[in-house]
Amino acid sequence: MNRKKILICDDDAGIMDLMEIILDEQGYHVIAEMDSLKVKLLIEKECPDLVVLDLWMPVLSGDMILQTIRGMPTFKNLPVVAVSASNEGRKIAMAAGATAFVAKPFDIDHLLEVIARPLDYC
Amino acid sequence: MHEFKKGRFNLSGDSVKDNFDLLTQALDSSISGIIITDNNQRDNPIVYCNNAFELISGYRRNEIIGHNCRFLQADDRDQPARAILAESISKGVECKVEIRNYRKNGDLFWNELFMAPVRDEKGAISHFIGVQNDVTERKKTEHDLRQQKLLMEQKIVERTSALKESEAFLTSIIETMREGLLVLDPNFVVLSANYHFLRTFKVNLEDTLGKNLYALGNNQWDIPQLKELLVKILPTNNPVVDFEVEHDFPHIGKKLMLLNAYRVELEGQFKDQILLAIEDITEKREIERRKDDFLSIASHELKTPLTTIKGFMQVLERSVPKDASEKFLSTLSKVSTNVDRLNNLIGELLDVSKIQTGNITLHKSNFDFDKMVMDAVDAMQSSTNTHKIIVQGKTNAVVEADESHIIQVLNNLLSNAVKYAPDGGNILVEINNVSEYVKLSVKDDGLGMNAEDAKRVFERFYRSSEIQKHFPGMGIGLYICDQIIKNHKGTLWVESEKGKGSTFSFTLPKGGSEDE
Repeated sequence: MNRKKILICDDDAGIMDLMEIILDEQGYHVIAEMDSLKVKLLIEKECPDLVVLDLWMPVLSGDMILQTIRGMPTFKNLPVVAVSASNEGRKIAMAAGATAFVAKPFDIDHLLEVIARPLDYC
Repeated sequence: MHEFKKGRFNLSGDSVKDNFDLLTQALDSSISGIIITDNNQRDNPIVYCNNAFELISGYRRNEIIGHNCRFLQADDRDQPARAILAESISKGVECKVEIRNYRKNGDLFWNELFMAPVRDEKGAISHFIGVQNDVTERKKTEHDLRQQKLLMEQKIVERTSALKESEAFLTSIIETMREGLLVLDPNFVVLSANYHFLRTFKVNLEDTLGKNLYALGNNQWDIPQLKELLVKILPTNNPVVDFEVEHDFPHIGKKLMLLNAYRVELEGQFKDQILLAIEDITEKREIERRKDDFLSIASHELKTPLTTIKGFMQVLERSVPKDASEKFLSTLSKVSTNVDRLNNLIGELLDVSKIQTGNITLHKSNFDFDKMVMDAVDAMQSSTNTHKIIVQGKTNAVVEADESHIIQVLNNLLSNAVKYAPDGGNILVEINNVSEYVKLSVKDDGLGMNAEDAKRVFERFYRSSEIQKHFPGMGIGLYICDQIIKNHKGTLWVESEKGKGSTFSFTLPKGGSEDE
């Protein structure tokens, strides 16, 4: 079976750990990266099917990365699920071109459903 | 009688005696008391008095003749006029004094006494003549006048000092207040400026008084918005209330100011002056912004580990072994409930902070009110087995509001209904159209509350003492609900009776509030 490849990026180790476990459990191929500067290169190298991106990160914020992705012709339609604990998160994510937004703390089933939705169409 | 012979007193009488009688009658007709004393006898006895003297003194002639004049002074000897009299008598000169005398019945009267010596051919003093007038009335009037004048002067001193005091009081208030204050004339020329204005805008009094407001400090006050407002004040008497102006001053930098301006009126006078109060809120705003920033960061940072905890809790719940004990399951569920509670509290704290600084922004959209209610009720119903939530009525309304805020209110009311009806039962949610509003009520059969609690239940941090004992909380949920409904120009209220449950209701304008 063709496992879908998901790139996750969050600066919090606990959340990375959690997401890795639950996504792996669902049979996804998970690539985890905590360094926001490396996300762009990783996308180009790994060509993931979907990206889960935290918005509030040091150095490069999620929305800045998102804008970069949307500016790359190959990836302008790449599904990106933005997550954030910020109250303004949804607005920022949608403005930057996110496919979907999930507020932290999230319900695992809800997160999985949001992630599965765009992948079903692929 | 040689004077008569000389003819000086040669009146129309036929004889000397006739003429003498005429003179005596003349003396008796005088309203001034007249006496003559004989200086050649010891102690200057009175040898003559006219009728008027009898009238003035109250003594009869036989009681007067032979006495020295001083008998009229009774015991009142300590008078400055006496010394003058004594000196004039010894020098043999005329004098006029005002002296206190006493009538026979003891009444005081002021005697204006004119005394003159009479000399014989050799120049020796033979007699003294005293002419007396009762000036008691005049003296009394003079005295009253003097008293009144004194009283008046005293009053003026008192009033002046009271005025000075109140002026000093007002000045000290005006000078101490931490708000710039200007008084302007109709041409916007500064008539007065307080210390705080001078300090805030780094100007001195000389460069400010008598200058046009807009010309102050190299035209740094030439602010179009301010001009527009001030121009309207005098002709329309429309005050400027809490108007915010941001202006970049050349010397002191960007300032955010809160302006209040009024037409000065005092009993219909001074209508041509404007009172302009300027509050520098630059720093206040900055502090509010920093507080908001701090709270968002704090809330974000708190939510991050909470996300991990919640997530792993869910992982645990998914992997519960089939033979897990009841205790294990209930412990898991309690941790889960409290993680959610913690998450809500963090959210509420952020909400309260935003409400307090007035920074709540409404993201309005059109939504199906009935569907929103059904979804919220379904979600709440799925989390409780003890209560049954029944929805009655229909609005078919599309409402323009911030849906997430309204859901927050409804969730709060529903969870309160569940919480405060611990014995379970039905919760009735009723929705109707009321004029241009939708109305929603949540009715429970729970504990209810007394009138005092019902009145205060929407206050921030208010907890009824009884409720607090059994249901600890922060007391901000209903406060936030109230603020949210107010922001939407609706009303939220409660009807309740102790032991008989509560009904919380709110109205919400369907079209949204026009002015936003």
